[in-house]
Amino acid sequence: MTSTTVTTAEKPSSRISGRTILIALLVAIGIAIVYYYIVDPTATTSVLAGTIRQATPLILGALCGLIGERSGIINIGIEGQMLMAAFVAFMVNVALGPIMPLGLALFLGVVSGILVGALMGGFLAWMSVTLKLDQIIGGTVINILALGLTSYFYVIGLTTRGKLPTFALGPLADIPLIGPVLFNRSPIQYLAIILVFVVQFALFRTVWGLRTRSVGEHPSAADTVGISVKMTRYMNVIIAGCFAGLAGAYLTLESVGTFERGMTNGRGFIALAVMIFGRWTPLGSWGAALLFGFATALKTQLDFMGLNVPPQLTGSMPYILTIVVLAGFAGRARPPAAVGQPYESE
Amino acid sequence: MFKRISLLMVILALVSLVLAACNSSDPEDCSSDEVFCVGLVTDVGEVDDKSFNQSAWEGVQGAEGVDKVEFIETGDAKDYGANIALFAEDGYDVIVTVGFAMGEATAEAAATYPDIDFIGVDQFQGEAIDNVAGLIFNEDKAGFLAGALAAMLSETGTIGAVLGTDLVPPVVAFKEGYEGGARYINPDINLISTYHPGGMDVAFTDPEWGASTAKQALDQGADVIFGAGGKTGNGALGEVAGAEGAYCIGVDTDQWETAPEAHGCLVSSAMKLITPGVQALIAASKAGELPAGNYIGDVGLASFHDFDSEVSQEIKDTLSDLEQQLAAGTLETGYNPGG
Amino acid sequence: MAAQETETMQERESVGKRLWRSASVPVLSIILALVIGGVILALSGNNPIAAYVALLRGSFGSAEAFGRTLEKATPLIFGGLAVAFAFKAGLFNIGGQGQLLIGAIIAAYVGFAFDGLPFIIHMPLALIAGAVAGGLYGAIAGALKAYTGAHEVITTIMLNYVAINLTDYLADGPWKDEGIIARTPAVLESAVIPTWGFLPFGFLLAVLAAIATWYLVYRTTFGYAIRTTGINPNAAQYAGIKVSQVIILTMGISGFLAGMGGAVETLGVVGRYQPGFNLGLGFDGITIALLAKTNPLGVIPAAILIGAMQAGSSQMQFSAGVPFQIIDVIQALILFFVSADIIVRKVFRMRETGGEKITLSTGWGS
Repeated sequence: MTSTTVTTAEKPSSRISGRTILIALLVAIGIAIVYYYIVDPTATTSVLAGTIRQATPLILGALCGLIGERSGIINIGIEGQMLMAAFVAFMVNVALGPIMPLGLALFLGVVSGILVGALMGGFLAWMSVTLKLDQIIGGTVINILALGLTSYFYVIGLTTRGKLPTFALGPLADIPLIGPVLFNRSPIQYLAIILVFVVQFALFRTVWGLRTRSVGEHPSAADTVGISVKMTRYMNVIIAGCFAGLAGAYLTLESVGTFERGMTNGRGFIALAVMIFGRWTPLGSWGAALLFGFATALKTQLDFMGLNVPPQLTGSMPYILTIVVLAGFAGRARPPAAVGQPYESE
Repeated sequence: MFKRISLLMVILALVSLVLAACNSSDPEDCSSDEVFCVGLVTDVGEVDDKSFNQSAWEGVQGAEGVDKVEFIETGDAKDYGANIALFAEDGYDVIVTVGFAMGEATAEAAATYPDIDFIGVDQFQGEAIDNVAGLIFNEDKAGFLAGALAAMLSETGTIGAVLGTDLVPPVVAFKEGYEGGARYINPDINLISTYHPGGMDVAFTDPEWGASTAKQALDQGADVIFGAGGKTGNGALGEVAGAEGAYCIGVDTDQWETAPEAHGCLVSSAMKLITPGVQALIAASKAGELPAGNYIGDVGLASFHDFDSEVSQEIKDTLSDLEQQLAAGTLETGYNPGG
Repeated sequence: MAAQETETMQERESVGKRLWRSASVPVLSIILALVIGGVILALSGNNPIAAYVALLRGSFGSAEAFGRTLEKATPLIFGGLAVAFAFKAGLFNIGGQGQLLIGAIIAAYVGFAFDGLPFIIHMPLALIAGAVAGGLYGAIAGALKAYTGAHEVITTIMLNYVAINLTDYLADGPWKDEGIIARTPAVLESAVIPTWGFLPFGFLLAVLAAIATWYLVYRTTFGYAIRTTGINPNAAQYAGIKVSQVIILTMGISGFLAGMGGAVETLGVVGRYQPGFNLGLGFDGITIALLAKTNPLGVIPAAILIGAMQAGSSQMQFSAGVPFQIIDVIQALILFFVSADIIVRKVFRMRETGGEKITLSTGWGS
């Protein structure tokens, strides 16, 4: 777990040879997709496109969680960070919309969402590192505070003039199945996919990643070799906040185009589950986010098929599927060793 | 421990006494006969929900001969009764309660405060209570017209619906009517619809899910989508607005006014006219003639606004013909509650 | 407001001195939170004094108001106990909401379906049935963790959603009342938890549950096993404690408490199961447990505090025109200051006392 060998943990598994199961699973998924694509190309494509879309806020939230936790800071405030960023990104866009080109207003909206996420991250870091509050308390404070502030200051009837558009990546978008699913998306969705790989690389192949992981696993050892535990944690939690901020901006400025009270609706908590499911690795989390996104899109598809079953049955399917996969395949997860513990330097 | 609790009780009691003494007085005294006051208690959700709470509130504000209006937003369904009581104890003359879920609390309050008139929006009255008027709507008829319009506009032969939750009867009525109307026009139409998978607290407030789900329907060839589920439905409308050549249909009010993000697709809305209904009932109450039992409000399609030129005269004629038949009772929507 | 409530019970000194020592930080935290909340109110054009007076009037201003505060506090106590208890074993039960819903609907079923029983049997039966159902539901997450290693944070979040769908299905399907509204029939008179004057009997049950939980955690062998597991599961295993059993039982008891909260709501407040009437309580439980620093007895005043704010929020809207969402802001600030006692002590120039430090998150991933 701590070594740099964990690179392709798409579907994490441990007990039997992990890699074998993983490859078998990926092949099985591939065959299933091709089979269903032949049977019903439209439905298959739309379900998979829906999967990528529904996974976007979850993977961004999970990246936020894991960057913090890899350095030893638990973040259950992802939900609040997202919500606050969604609100501010939207309000900035609404305020700037009339006085500048739409594209610029959207861009600045997204940037301000990211900054708010970072600011909330800084607040969490301050509570966890400087004040040494229990980290679960810090996250809970952020969640309630964000819900209260955004709901209290919510203004009725505001709307943006537009949202971040979908753009196809030239000829790539014309590839059957893969084109519409992967190469005909909107900016933050592309960005989220790229960031998965960037964070995976940074975490396991760069000095920053090494420092992060050593602070999260053995803070005192890191301290002795001259890494500042506090600085690393501050920096990581602030960077992590940017990801939650991006997820928030995605909700208001790319996916929906308006802000509504409490519109994150638990996605921050599901992102937390996704992160643990993915064993604190970006690729693993992406796999978990895709699984959850797929289950949600599949639920919709089952309803579209007009099955005569109570909607609650299909409605609980994504959650049951997640539990089954988790219990059946994923197994025990081990968090960074020093997570949750404030560090006292000598 | 018990000693401390009793100490606590004593302190709390003292605080209560002090506070009870400093009760502020109101310049507009609703308990006076001269002052006609109307209060509104929202369902869980906000008064500016761009949907039924808001329509009802606009009805209260627009009612004539009213001296004072006030609302309370309910944060917890268990507070319905207490929130109604706040108005009742303050001497309000009419209390409007919004949403089917408040029916029981309204009936209880009506028995406790027989001198106050109650207007229950979406509250079907099984047995008439003297001082309660249930403002109800045949949502299925509005849905039927929306479905007929959708089927006539659709070129792909696939239409969709993104819905709140089947736990709320009006949503089911809209949906069933929509499907009935679509099939009436085109028996072979491909109808794809889905409900939000969450509970009552999120089913109407999840625009992100609404948008993603609408996209999934669009990807499968749906070219008209009915968004019926508060802000969840609005999310669907906003998504369709960004799609080329697709239409969307709003719900409850004329959403042209409430969901500007949907202007790119909003051809019409399946309306229940809560605002005029509430106004009419408040006027009746002021005249001392509140109709006990059920009061059936009007439903219908909103105007086509910018899409007026895209809706052919033939479609318009068919719709007005259907509307007459539904009103006359010669046409059934296929919605059968309780069945 | 109602500050003396937030006390904890650990050492034995003279009552007055001890009371001030344990209550001073919470009291001052509440004051600080109210001041900041007041600034926010004033900046956004509301009158903070009017708002707070109305908030107090709506929560403690009359016998009925106080009764409603206790009524609101009741499920919060149960929810807070559920979370606090699980924390003792190093488990983070985010699933209080789901366990509460299951408890609520099972209590409703027993309450309306079992005709002809006397009160003395029927009410306790429905109550216990709901609690046991919640316990079994909680134990699922415990068993999943013990046998497959599936993390309880994931499973309890997922089980919350499953519970919502399951209860919605039951209330709209097999257990549906006559008529078009999705809800169960009303529970029979013999299963209703009474209210004595303004004092809800359910509140007394909640207080008893808190005392029982405290006893279980601090005065029994099992409680010792739980706490040992919470501090270090490996050491516990080494010391001969069957950790997997402890995990399952802890989640079961935690669910039992949450489920009982749901049952009390159904039998004492709502009178039936209706979707949408029990939401949010589970998540409030996390706040309460943290506010109480996971002390089962501390949960009582914490729940009364939050319950009072919820009960008074309608009056605050009505009399002062302040949106009820401001109470979330104030709650967050209270939680912050209560936990960050360093700041409170700085602001009020108090002496540092080696107050107990809590760490809940050590059990995060084990």
